Amino acid sequence: MRLYDIVVLVTPELADDDAAKIAGEYKKILVDGGATVVKEEPWGKRRLAFPIGRKREAHYVYWQVQSEPAAVAEAERRMGLSDQVLRHLAVRVDEELKRSAKMAERLRKKAIKRPPRPPAPPAEAAAAPVERAERSES
Amino acid sequence: MRMGGGSGRPGGRGGAAGKDAKGGPRKKFFVRRRKVCKFCAEKLEYIDWKDVKLLQGFIPERGKILPRRISGTCALHQRKLQTAIKRARSIALLPYATD
Repeated sequence: MRLYDIVVLVTPELADDDAAKIAGEYKKILVDGGATVVKEEPWGKRRLAFPIGRKREAHYVYWQVQSEPAAVAEAERRMGLSDQVLRHLAVRVDEELKRSAKMAERLRKKAIKRPPRPPAPPAEAAAAPVERAERSES
Repeated sequence: MRMGGGSGRPGGRGGAAGKDAKGGPRKKFFVRRRKVCKFCAEKLEYIDWKDVKLLQGFIPERGKILPRRISGTCALHQRKLQTAIKRARSIALLPYATD
């Protein structure tokens, strides 16, 4: 099982309910394929940053899904076939999240190990090395 | 001849010292603020491609990605930022280009 971020853009000509219904179809494909929906956020009608097929708006629907790759691939394939879906994007996020959590953990440990060292015994002698250390950290 | 060759090197050193001397006044004219990577400073490790507000700060008017030399972002985070912006572009959250 992998964690995916999925966004679907549904054509703006449909009413909010109908757009939600179409998005629901793809959700069903995912769930039938053994996926569990972690997060579901309809972002509503949003202005597009650039026109897609003469349309300047779209209904955005976002899910975070714990799923097998096959189910996501199938849902994406169907999205590509549909005329109602302007764009879709599915990104695997579990590994990236894990990596960044690890990095954050390492940073925190480093901060604990090396607390800020203002109490320097001789003022003039300590001032220069501290300044240099700050530069090298950047 | 050999003596001349030998004297050339100290001359080179003299030239380097001259550059240092020039570097001195230059620093006086520009008081440059040190740029810090925003993501390192705020300890944001994961750059979310759905966070349009965050990404928009790295998109100038033209819609291009702000270079590292201007934003001061570190190489690691610039790379992550780049993929995040490109993903956001593909679903029309951000523009590819604007005039």
